[in-house]
Amino acid sequence: MNSKKTDIMVIGLGLAGMVAAARAAELGKKVVLVGKGAGSLTLSSGGIDLWGYSLEQPEKPALSPRHEISRLVERNKDHPYAKAADVLEDSLAFFQAVCRSAGLPYLSNGLGNWLVPTALGTLRPTCLVPESMAVPDLQQVARILLVGFAELKDFYPAVLAVNLQKCGCLPSGCRLDIADVRMSGREMNAVTLAGRLEQLGVLEEVVAQIRPHLTPGTLVLVPPVLGRARHRQVRENLAALLGCPAYEVAGLPPALPGLRLSDALLTHLKRNGVTVLSGSTVHSVRLDEQRRRCLAVQLAGPGGRLEVQAAAYVLASGSFLGGGLKAGPGLVQETIFGLPVQFDPDGWACEEFLDRRGHAFNSFGLRVNENLQPVDGEGRVCLENVLAAGAILGGSNWPVEKCGNGVALTSGYKAGQLAAGGV
Amino acid sequence: MQKLSVQVVVVGGGATGTGILRDLAMRGISALLVEQGDLAHGTSSRFHGLLHSGCRYAVKDPAAARECIEENMILRRIAPNCVEITGGLFVQLPEDDPAYAEEWESACRQAGIEVEEVDPAAVRRQNPALSPRITRAFAVPDCAVDGFRVVWSNLHSARRYGARALTYTRLKAIEQQNSCITGVRAENVLTGEQYHIECQVLINAAGPWAGEVAALAGLEVGVIKDKGTLIAFNHRLVQQVVNRLRPPGDGDIFVPHGPITILGTTSLPVENPADNRPQQKEVLDLLAIGREIIPDLDEYRLIRTFAGVRPLYQEVPLAGSGRSVSRNYALLDHQQRDGLAGLISIVGGKFTTFRLMAEKAADLAAGKLGISRPCRTAGEPLFDPLPPEWLERGRKVFGVAAAHKAAERLGDDFAAVVARAEQNPEQARILCECELVSQAEVEQALAADTTFTLGDVRRKTRLGMGTCQGTFCSYRSLGILSRYPRFAADHRQYLADFLQKRWKGMRPVLWGQQLREAQLSTAIYSALFGMERML
Repeated sequence: MNSKKTDIMVIGLGLAGMVAAARAAELGKKVVLVGKGAGSLTLSSGGIDLWGYSLEQPEKPALSPRHEISRLVERNKDHPYAKAADVLEDSLAFFQAVCRSAGLPYLSNGLGNWLVPTALGTLRPTCLVPESMAVPDLQQVARILLVGFAELKDFYPAVLAVNLQKCGCLPSGCRLDIADVRMSGREMNAVTLAGRLEQLGVLEEVVAQIRPHLTPGTLVLVPPVLGRARHRQVRENLAALLGCPAYEVAGLPPALPGLRLSDALLTHLKRNGVTVLSGSTVHSVRLDEQRRRCLAVQLAGPGGRLEVQAAAYVLASGSFLGGGLKAGPGLVQETIFGLPVQFDPDGWACEEFLDRRGHAFNSFGLRVNENLQPVDGEGRVCLENVLAAGAILGGSNWPVEKCGNGVALTSGYKAGQLAAGGV
Repeated sequence: MQKLSVQVVVVGGGATGTGILRDLAMRGISALLVEQGDLAHGTSSRFHGLLHSGCRYAVKDPAAARECIEENMILRRIAPNCVEITGGLFVQLPEDDPAYAEEWESACRQAGIEVEEVDPAAVRRQNPALSPRITRAFAVPDCAVDGFRVVWSNLHSARRYGARALTYTRLKAIEQQNSCITGVRAENVLTGEQYHIECQVLINAAGPWAGEVAALAGLEVGVIKDKGTLIAFNHRLVQQVVNRLRPPGDGDIFVPHGPITILGTTSLPVENPADNRPQQKEVLDLLAIGREIIPDLDEYRLIRTFAGVRPLYQEVPLAGSGRSVSRNYALLDHQQRDGLAGLISIVGGKFTTFRLMAEKAADLAAGKLGISRPCRTAGEPLFDPLPPEWLERGRKVFGVAAAHKAAERLGDDFAAVVARAEQNPEQARILCECELVSQAEVEQALAADTTFTLGDVRRKTRLGMGTCQGTFCSYRSLGILSRYPRFAADHRQYLADFLQKRWKGMRPVLWGQQLREAQLSTAIYSALFGMERML
């Protein structure tokens, strides 16, 4: 079997894994990043959610996510933020610097949350957004034009219009209009459509159909299809042709904003000497005799078997969806090292799908100490040189808390940093 | 208040009720069916989907076994696109009583069912998932049947003969004069519309609700309501129906339906005929028994679980002479039994014998009306086969796979859906990739005069019933249905209802791949759309 030696091995191609690899590489370490396929970012809205709603008044979007997180950490020692929020500012600054250098700047909205519309017409509280989604304050707009494409079955401007009007975020007298663009009439998914819009001729045809609906001062909202690799040019061309910017609205996956972020981070990693092995699954692990440390991880991938020996490992393999955790009836396992998972034997899910308390299964995961080392029920470290980050961490109900990306970012950054410091 | 007048009113829109409606209409008898919900919302769509060969009953109830094999052969002939002729197997494991196999085999032959012993090794070559511990195997003429399709085909056929059906219409009162049925009162549960329907004969085919219907006439009909839970796998685990060769018990039948397999069932008495909530414990019990036949059962993805309520007839103690046709179903002539002329109840039975039960009930009703035209339901096909030209045209607009699936699903309506997509090319797009449901098919369902609720659309099209259990198509269907205010006036309500219906079936099987699906669904509708806080 071929083998490869490295300082740090990161498992998982989602946000946590990529940030961990980037941080470790920045600290001068040799890093190997492995993953099965496209990570969870392909399912992401494209924004970076830190914390959505006020702890005191759960109805209200959090005005200051940082403030809410510091309150949360005081109250809930089991939340992943309690282990990683100490690097919150550093990780945000790092993330923004990386994205800027990769040509995908992320913008903050002062110290607060953005409230950006979704394809359902709800507003998402999120902390950082790419320029394409940085919608100006809706309270100030007199007219909104919602653009849909006949070819795109994952976006319906009429649905957006009805619910935006309902959510009480628009000034009275604000007009909503719809422009239905038709291209070939043949069904396309968002990725294909985004590729087509990278051709200037196609974009011009689209604009010709939007322009009649446009009046000065109109805010234009479009589905998230403004290019993939050439997203910058597409946005600039569109703004020049329309005479005003257009903003993307988050919708069903596969979502271009998440794909672009994934692309940008991968580009950054490769530029900074990180070895990325995608399409690889972990086949087995080798531990020392006392079962205190991991010596090597064996991969099965397109090039056959490969053993990677690292001084430290960052486990960012995700929750159930990512494949880091696996469940059977009444049983949850961590899939790579067999680490102990914190879960309730019963009551995994609420009766109501939309129960505001969130479903218990989303909070299942590993318990870690301050150093992000997985620990067992008694708090003993399982493997000294294995750190965990991202959705595999238990204790957070991220779908209702709106903190999945924040947890991935802070714990990924911290794990990369600690691994680089030697564990 | 609508006033109507027919010779016969049929209560219950399952296989038996719609079968009776068709039978009466083909005899030229004017008939109207009332159903409290949508057609086939009860037991007729909540069972194994097994068209019995009769083998399962051969030992205990030879008469029922004989009826099953006869009806099995009739249904294959009259409804070829509702029946998948899979064939079946009865398999024995070392722990099963070997003597039972001998008794069973001779009982099957006695009942006129062709059974043939086959080599277990050959069976496993065809069905590699089966246990290597199988000691004996017999091939039997079991089939898979689509209950939903049968019920709708019955209705379409009955309508062609002039019958009517009122769905979402609940029986409120049964009127009688001088111990004779004179009519019924009913109410539309969605609109509140009142009906007064005069009739000479009333046939109670309400399945698990038969006791409630009889009570409106002041009579007692004993129905044991017996819940059976089933689970659907996202794989064709076996090529044939697989039964366990031992006295019938829980969880010992696998039925393949196209790309999925249904395993069942349990048996649990319930109070309320609408109690069809499956419990996780039942699912685990089913899996434990199923594993004996398919050892790697846990490796396969579960889509969902569902439950139906069997109506089992129980003779009311001290009642009059109810004319019990067989141990499995009972045809009650309430004139003889209780002195109320014009009321007939048909209770119990199985889906497989629905046509025969309908025939017996219609014979009795026709006799009461003094009409001697014979039953013709065993000979006349349920619908005309689809002209191949339409399939060709369908392939052009929907693609091969989607066209075939839609043609199977739609039967008579396929041509209209193809024409719709030809006229509006963007309606050819597939809203539900799992079940390959096009927008044209959804729009067609929306236009049907039997569609009143979102549930009706889902049942007609199978939208959201596939692997992803609505994760993607619920939002897409909102995009389409939001143009129809009566279905999606309130977007949050619409989506919540759509997602909750799927959730009910997924929640008891939240592990493995289906837990991943559930996590994706919460990632989209909660993390991304924030629906839990939506107004």
